[in-house]
Amino acid sequence: MNMNRKLKNEFGNNVKAKLIDDKVILSGEVSSWDEKVSAGLLVAKQGSRVHVVNDIVVKNLVEAKTIVSSINDKKLEGKKPDVLIIGGGVVGCAIARELSKYDLDILLVEKEYDVALHASSRNDGMVHPGIDIKPGLLKKKLNNIGNEMYDDMCNDLNVKFNRCGQYLCFTKNNLLIPVILTLPYFNLTAAGRAHFVGRKKLFNKEPGISKDIKYGLYFDGAGTVCPYGLTIALAENAIENGVAISLDTAVISIKVEDKKITSVQTNRGEIYPKMTINAAGVFCEEIAKMAGDRFFSIHPRKGTNAILDKEAKKNINTIYTSVNSFNGDKKSNHTKGGGIVSTVDGNVLVGPNAIETSEKENFDTEKSSIDNIFKKQKKAGTWLSGSDIITYFTGVRAATYEEDFIVEKGRNTKNIIHSAGIQSPGLTASPAIAVEIATILKNEMPDIIEKTNFNKYRNSFPRISEMDEDNRREYIEENPDYGEIVCRCEEISKGEIVDAMRSPLRCDTVDGIKRRARPGMGRCQGGFCGPQVAKMISEEKGIPLNKVRKGYEDSYILLGEKNEI
Amino acid sequence: MKTAIFFWVKKMKYDVTVIGAGPAGLAAAISADKNGAKVLLIEREDKLGGVLKQCIHDGFGLIKYGEKLSGCEYANRSIDELMKRDVSLKLRTFVSKVTKKKDGFNLLLSSSGKLENIETKKIIFATGCRERTPKQVAIHGSRPAGVFTAGLAQYYLNVNGQMPGRKCVILGSGDIGLIMARRLTLEGASVLGVYEAKDSPSGLTRNIYQCLEDFDIPLYLSHTVTRLHGRNRLEGVTISKVDEKMEPINGTEEYVSCDTLIVSVGLIPENELPKTLDVPMSKYTKGAIVNQYYETLVNGIYACGNALHVNDLVDYVSESGEEAGKFAAIRDKSDAETIDVNFTSDFGYVVPQKIVKDSETATFYFRTSRIRENAVVKVYNKDEEIFRKKYLNLKPPEMEKIKVNIEDVSEIRFVMEVSK
Amino acid sequence: MIDKTFTCIVCPNGCKLNATVLEDNKLVVTGNKCIKGIDFANNEIFNPKRMLTTTVKTTFNSMPYLPVRTESEIPKEKVFQVMNVLRTTVIKRQLKVGDIVIENVLDTGINVIATMNTEEKRYG
Repeated sequence: MNMNRKLKNEFGNNVKAKLIDDKVILSGEVSSWDEKVSAGLLVAKQGSRVHVVNDIVVKNLVEAKTIVSSINDKKLEGKKPDVLIIGGGVVGCAIARELSKYDLDILLVEKEYDVALHASSRNDGMVHPGIDIKPGLLKKKLNNIGNEMYDDMCNDLNVKFNRCGQYLCFTKNNLLIPVILTLPYFNLTAAGRAHFVGRKKLFNKEPGISKDIKYGLYFDGAGTVCPYGLTIALAENAIENGVAISLDTAVISIKVEDKKITSVQTNRGEIYPKMTINAAGVFCEEIAKMAGDRFFSIHPRKGTNAILDKEAKKNINTIYTSVNSFNGDKKSNHTKGGGIVSTVDGNVLVGPNAIETSEKENFDTEKSSIDNIFKKQKKAGTWLSGSDIITYFTGVRAATYEEDFIVEKGRNTKNIIHSAGIQSPGLTASPAIAVEIATILKNEMPDIIEKTNFNKYRNSFPRISEMDEDNRREYIEENPDYGEIVCRCEEISKGEIVDAMRSPLRCDTVDGIKRRARPGMGRCQGGFCGPQVAKMISEEKGIPLNKVRKGYEDSYILLGEKNEI
Repeated sequence: MKTAIFFWVKKMKYDVTVIGAGPAGLAAAISADKNGAKVLLIEREDKLGGVLKQCIHDGFGLIKYGEKLSGCEYANRSIDELMKRDVSLKLRTFVSKVTKKKDGFNLLLSSSGKLENIETKKIIFATGCRERTPKQVAIHGSRPAGVFTAGLAQYYLNVNGQMPGRKCVILGSGDIGLIMARRLTLEGASVLGVYEAKDSPSGLTRNIYQCLEDFDIPLYLSHTVTRLHGRNRLEGVTISKVDEKMEPINGTEEYVSCDTLIVSVGLIPENELPKTLDVPMSKYTKGAIVNQYYETLVNGIYACGNALHVNDLVDYVSESGEEAGKFAAIRDKSDAETIDVNFTSDFGYVVPQKIVKDSETATFYFRTSRIRENAVVKVYNKDEEIFRKKYLNLKPPEMEKIKVNIEDVSEIRFVMEVSK
Repeated sequence: MIDKTFTCIVCPNGCKLNATVLEDNKLVVTGNKCIKGIDFANNEIFNPKRMLTTTVKTTFNSMPYLPVRTESEIPKEKVFQVMNVLRTTVIKRQLKVGDIVIENVLDTGINVIATMNTEEKRYG
């Protein structure tokens, strides 16, 4: 077998591949995680429906346990939802909202204390035109469909979306002809249109760009969105349309009888869903395995972004990145090139890089990552300066070895639908994935009917600082709290913070409020408003100050009154 | 005939509006009022005093009052004085926007239930400074609770009476960090050590002695925190030694178990509003470029206190406020020529950066860029020496103040001579 | 014989002092650039004193803790004892800056005084 010959060349007799049904099962032992991943990549064929299931053991590697809330109650015991969605990322929440158009009893469970805590908040918020994805891949199709859905979706959900476009910038004259020749290809295969831009126009549009840049390609289909803002909006709108979301709820095991899921055990009780949807991000392989339907593997890939001060915004209006070599459609690049992104909230994002990792929940950042992304992006953004960094974050992508999305019903287990391997451009594709899942569900449950009272609009709280003066005055006179500014860097009022705490999805942590209303997002990173926000949580939720959490369980900010401990 | 009804909303018009009611703003408002101006003082918080409200420790006011007061007492003296004066006061009021008008400025003010415009001829920015954050000094790893800037920890402990931690590591030997080391120790926490990336302390010697040595808290120079550990609450930090460029040295990492990291790594003047008005800033001070009257390069805009440059002593902060207030009240546009103040790299900075050639003397504040012994500071007008002073010790944490005769100068240059 | 090194904090010079107490309690100081260094060393060795500043619990919502200090310096060894006294003190009446919180704390002959006014009104 060809596969095994390749493996032998690389790994001797340590690794074996076996084709069983429609999956390639890898077994054996290697000495490092990177070797395990390269074995998987060696035998995988991009976009193939024959997936690699990687059972190779890495010597001396203790895989980290999934972090699960310590809550143990019976809140969900005996629930019999029509649909159980596992995972509150952008995909899970988009699915929840899409399915809430139908007369269904829907429950979404999320193991973290909030939605969008993993990859959905830890990315650069780019809505991709899909230029670096091979045609024919599922992710290409869903990216392009999803991309076109963004304007309406964000409008309905009251989420900021900026279709600012993206520049690929070139320094080498010898690439000029090949670049121009790709235009018809991009116009045929990408979301939106591709345009050639000469040096003059480029500098006109992006004065901050490096003087080494000679020309560029502009993709008008690209945009930016706040990824967690969107996820929260989707979740809130789903709730408004009847979906139940249970946070701090982890799936522990799944009972399968006769190739059917009969119950799902969580830390909050046993649930008996008719249909289960696997939208568990980096944990989708584990969920598939519990459901007796594991036919793919995930190799997590982490990436780090830096967030720059608003002052850096003067150097960038859109998204740009410099390209040194150009393969057109020939080769897909896992890092998506990264870039410098002007966000909808007025900051600048730089990154990301891409590093294989065995740790699905390790969001540590490294100095070397920041150094590398800066080095890379400085080619287009010579102005990039480490002193503009206000913070940085790491996210972990859920990549399959085939580097494509899996959106299909179970192959072995009947009442499960997988949305797996959703890495970049998962954010862009999420609304399209949700529609695809709904289509599959309708096939499986043909008698479901559309609701007549679905409300596609989400009422979010006002953004006071973005209003014109008269509008702002009206709001302030209606609710005095909108006049009281708590966060000075981002100009966020007390009213907005209270609104965030009273929104449909539970919000009772400093970080949760930060993701919704943005206090503490600015250059002082909560140095001034932190105590005010903590006090407001304490008052609104009726808990003592020392029970106010930053975010995660037990992440208490204060230890108690000084005289009492 | 149609009748038109005109609503004439009369905006309040002030001569001088002071933004920020910390020590600089209080002094500026008092002084502007004393000098006959109609003054408005705007403060974001619900009490006057700025950061002094949380500075319960002593050592304030030695120059201004000849007494060792606590920060709160120092503020109280200024507040007492303000209360005697006819200064309009807006507390819990946020300046959302400043717009330049023909003969002054329009301020959009947001407060509980109210959004209003006021007009003023002049503005004094006394907005203080903010703390550099852990991310700004490239601390990596996880993002748990239990990481505070020193001022934030000070607020929680002194204003809320809440303990920020029990087992603390302090990064940075700036004064607030040192003060917090003592404060936490007194309240029963253990401070495992103060780590400083530089090879000399950033804080005043007095604080090293009374805040660390008194309590046997070790000070590690040329060390920094490079990594945080723990998902929920901080569990520990990685400490590394650093080289002369303050870059961590590989292989020197050491894990210290702790539940709290307090970061005292410097202050940055807060100048977001003046920047929207295109007030030129100094790359050395990160504050506005001003002349000897504390006026910025934008006519009618003044700056003082820590918003102008980070001071070591509050007395100087008040002093600059007083001057700024006075000049904002009495000064008209001057036709006199403005010249630059230059200095060598031996200086961290010199303030003011500009001199208007219409006064006899000017007061300068400067900091040395590194520790110097037996240094002579000279000021030249072209090749002519117009001032000299000998210093036994010059240290970057300590600001120096000199008064120079500047009659008929055409160029000002600060030079430092260091005997070998 | 006691041997001690410390930094003089009287002026910015920050002399590194070396103080030796001889058997007859006579003090020998080296490293000082001026006479103040000797006084400083003398006090630090025979009678070290410190100002204590802290906060004391109140019954007022607007100011749950009131900043206080000792009116003048107290013996250094009493610092933690005074802290313990202040930890159990609760202020129930309105105070102004300078008002006595505790008189003659621990028989030091020194009062603990308020360094802020309790009533909020005063500040706006």
